[in-house]
Amino acid sequence: MSGKDNTGVSRRNFLAAAGAFGVVGLTGCLGGGGSITATGSNTVAPITQEAAESYQDTNDDALVDVSPEGTGAGFSEFCQGRSDIQSASRDITEDEIEDCAASDVEYSRYTVGLDGLAVVKNAENDWVDNITLDELQAIWEFEATDEVTQWSDVRDEWPDEEMSLHARDSASGTFDYFTANVVGERGDIRDDYSATSQTNEIMDAVASETHGFGWGGLGYAEAVIDDGQPLELVPVESDQDGDFYLPTEENVESGLYSPLARPLFFFVNHATLQESPDLIGSYVRHYINNQDSFADAAGFFAAPDEEQNANHDRFTEVLQDLGVEDEVSTEAEYY
Amino acid sequence: MSTKDQLGDIIDEGVSYEEVRGKLFLSLCIAASFFGIAMLVLLLWDVIATTHQAVFEFNVDPVHFLTQTSSRTAENAGFYSAIIGSLWLMVLVSVMAFFVGVGTAVYLEEYAPDNRWTRLFEANLANLAGVPSVVYGLLVLGVIVNGAGMGPILLAGALALALLIMPIIIVSSIEALRAVPDGVRQGSAAAGATRWQTIRNVVLPAAMPGIITGTILALARAIGETAPLIMVGALFITTRTPGPLDRFGAMPTEIYTWAAQPERQFIAMAGFGILILLGVLFTMQGIAVYIRRRYEVDFGE
Repeated sequence: MSGKDNTGVSRRNFLAAAGAFGVVGLTGCLGGGGSITATGSNTVAPITQEAAESYQDTNDDALVDVSPEGTGAGFSEFCQGRSDIQSASRDITEDEIEDCAASDVEYSRYTVGLDGLAVVKNAENDWVDNITLDELQAIWEFEATDEVTQWSDVRDEWPDEEMSLHARDSASGTFDYFTANVVGERGDIRDDYSATSQTNEIMDAVASETHGFGWGGLGYAEAVIDDGQPLELVPVESDQDGDFYLPTEENVESGLYSPLARPLFFFVNHATLQESPDLIGSYVRHYINNQDSFADAAGFFAAPDEEQNANHDRFTEVLQDLGVEDEVSTEAEYY
Repeated sequence: MSTKDQLGDIIDEGVSYEEVRGKLFLSLCIAASFFGIAMLVLLLWDVIATTHQAVFEFNVDPVHFLTQTSSRTAENAGFYSAIIGSLWLMVLVSVMAFFVGVGTAVYLEEYAPDNRWTRLFEANLANLAGVPSVVYGLLVLGVIVNGAGMGPILLAGALALALLIMPIIIVSSIEALRAVPDGVRQGSAAAGATRWQTIRNVVLPAAMPGIITGTILALARAIGETAPLIMVGALFITTRTPGPLDRFGAMPTEIYTWAAQPERQFIAMAGFGILILLGVLFTMQGIAVYIRRRYEVDFGE
């Protein structure tokens, strides 16, 4: 960029900036128009983004802005009415329900897919063939700190070697889900493992250490395995029949890989839906119509067909309640 | 070492002991400076290797990469919109931070009385320069994005970055103004110039290379910041080219998102993005060094 261009840009820019301050001062509000604001989980963001790009392909003047602040931070925006769609890798909590109620934000929930939480070990680890839910709890609960440190502390026949534990940090919805469903209480975790906000780091670390062990989103584990790195999935006990299962498509979608398969959601704000039913309503319909392929493209599993039909029924009901059913141009496709 | 029978022996031993200590210290210093260089080389090597992987293993076309907007599909994704986002941020940040920053510095150095309050003010500026960047992001999120209802647009991101680097610009501008000797000001005053004329025609031109250098280095810091932009509400990925009033993403936020994706191609492309960002940073540093060398005025005599 030459010096000449630079002055041109900065002058235009200065005007734009000054104008923007003026506009903000006058109206106190920007945005609206043809754009949809989607906040929430960075796990679900890829699915919502797939839906956004696919919707924008067929609707030229529609914009869907996906921001990935995380499930919790996203709910605090959503519950103050600042977003139209909220993606979540866990259900809404009691506190968040109260927040939404306090600001009179009404919403409804839709299931978009299933995520398998993979338990992973290094490929050189030939002693861990499977793991029970009790053993997972024994490894990860707070009481395990400084107590359960060697493989032999978990199962007697395993070696007297230190485990190297890697998992997500407490800011993530994945962490909330794992601690609530495996350890037993949300937020209950030992305090001497390597906590990271990047699932890639968990997988890379376990692939590089013989005694590495951890958990994280299945899509991340599979990408590392496909890359040829020494990482393996561990079959986990099912709370359905007590057998051990790997997070395959079949096991996750049939519900056998439980409790480590979790549903992923999005929430819709009813107030903004009523304001622009064609824009937001059509996007939501488009999302639900194609949710299986969006989830698949983002590395997740499809939710059961009943869930998809239930999504449509619930959304139809919401539109009827709001009296805007006729203004949504995208038709529901049932399975 | 006190039981020697000859004075000379004691002295010799003492000297050689000190010499050994001196050499040890020197080698430690050399090792310390090589450590920094080694880390930089390691970083550059890693980034270049990842870029190589992106181009040759995943067949990322550099032209496509630099001219296309981002996408959820790695094959379609490009860096163009993020680059434009960063350029807009840079332009807006420099406009916002430069005039306020230099104005503050001129007031503090040329006009303000040298009393306890001014010194307290300056000490606070130095402290502000050390505040973590995410704090400025939270401030702008609370006050501007939500409070004033501006929304998470590029201008709000620029405001966070401008706040972040303003103390740095003020402090470096004060240093530059201070480097102009008082004799120059007095000479101008003796020739009949008013204070305003002295500042406008004598002091500012002399201090400008230092001020510009400080501003460019501060901008280089701003351009690499991720945390305040994420707080303000940068997009997951930048699928369209932002203007000042649009939702936005920039180079560091795009790199952050890509590096966190499971697809290995996105991770390799993040390396390519880092290379571009580093290129911009080195260019800015180079311009700063050039301006300092080219326009430096020596009042030494």
